Amino acid sequence: MSVSIGQSLFLIFFGAAAVWFGVVVFRTHSMVRSAIALLFSQTAVGAMFLVMQAEFLGVLQIMMMASEMSVMAIFMVMFMMDPGGLGAMDMTHQKRLSLWAGGIGLTFALAVIWLTGWGPAAQAAPAAAEQTAALGRELLGRSMFVFESAGLTILTAMVAATMVAIAPTEEHGR
Amino acid sequence: MSIFAILLGLAFGGWLMAALEGWAVHGRFSLVRPLASALALLGREAVVTRKSDRLFFETAPILLLVAGLLAAAVIPLAPGLIVADLATGALFLNAALAYVLVALIMAGWGPDGAYAMIGGWRFLGQFIGYSMLIVMPITAVAMRAQSLSTTQIVTSQAALWNVAYQPLGFALFVVAAMALAWLPPFDLPSGTGDLAGGIEAEYTGPRLAVLRLARMVVVLALAGAVSTFYLGGWLGPWLPGWAWSGGKTLAVAALMLTLGRHIPRMREARFLEFCWKAGVPLALVNIFLVGVIALVVPI
Repeated sequence: MSVSIGQSLFLIFFGAAAVWFGVVVFRTHSMVRSAIALLFSQTAVGAMFLVMQAEFLGVLQIMMMASEMSVMAIFMVMFMMDPGGLGAMDMTHQKRLSLWAGGIGLTFALAVIWLTGWGPAAQAAPAAAEQTAALGRELLGRSMFVFESAGLTILTAMVAATMVAIAPTEEHGR
Repeated sequence: MSIFAILLGLAFGGWLMAALEGWAVHGRFSLVRPLASALALLGREAVVTRKSDRLFFETAPILLLVAGLLAAAVIPLAPGLIVADLATGALFLNAALAYVLVALIMAGWGPDGAYAMIGGWRFLGQFIGYSMLIVMPITAVAMRAQSLSTTQIVTSQAALWNVAYQPLGFALFVVAAMALAWLPPFDLPSGTGDLAGGIEAEYTGPRLAVLRLARMVVVLALAGAVSTFYLGGWLGPWLPGWAWSGGKTLAVAALMLTLGRHIPRMREARFLEFCWKAGVPLALVNIFLVGVIALVVPI
């Protein structure tokens, strides 16, 4: 698929924005700012999908991240018992462990990118409606099991997190 | 060309709706009053609270306006009279309206005021309730149209409007839309009686003008969505298409603005309970019924 100069420029711009907002997540001292920065980082990734003509994926990413980051904010408030989210708080914890985990993760991701045989690139992106239909068939066919188990895992995690966050009361026992 | 037509329509609709809301709240109908109060807001002093999160405070009203405008961009007024006829239009509408929540949280957090912050978090609680009831009825609408494109959704209703085809989805969507636009009885985030304006409490002058305009655009975009998804959009006899879709949108917006004023305000916990215990199962029933009808009776 040939990529125009305009497309590449937008791709670079949104890519840089995604990385920059990712950095902001850890530079700020407010949990709310951190959550919103993460949201805009993911929105920029959604915009990159749009530039790459993956309309459905881009729009889905932009939509899902707005609600997901806000739900994350709810859990943040529930666990910290502080709707203000503490004005001055260090967003980096367990620095040595995080550095190692981040480094290993990055190496692994780069290795996957370089070592995978991606096959020949498509000559042109299929029409948006066609992409949506193809994605639907994929999700209800081969990938159904993976997707459903991911959904169930997330649901379980949410229920468990809510249970942990609710303070035990006398009538419910401890 | 379409952009100007849609923007003009939004401006005209917003003005009419502001007049109507003034009528519902103050009991007096005046077409001049919205213009006068908009001018007054523009001329008024714009106060910024102490220790505000300036970035959020300034961004929130603009983000809300952008979200409303982007949502309106995929609503067709007539065949060809649409800003962006996307293949994923119905999903895009959702994506744009998801940022209403982000804008309101920012508006609540930004000014560093207790009333505003409670208003913002209340809306987040409300969101957990209404979000599924926005998405699931749209799923059923897209199932019938076999497409996410808003123009194809309108043409799919040529034989029978969706309000008759899937009335359950229609009712759920309208309730969710009213909660999304924090209209009474779901106006907790700005609750006039108990929060002194909530998210609007610390906004003054031009910023408040933008915030109110943005809210009106969101209401109109949602009314446009109701008309597109359930009332056949531009379909109708005699009159031109844009008149039908414009008229339907304004009628739905007027109903949304006035209906809930006679019902007591709904606490977000009660709303959440209703949405998840009754709303989500009903939305699933709606999807099932639409699936069965679509397979058995081709209308």
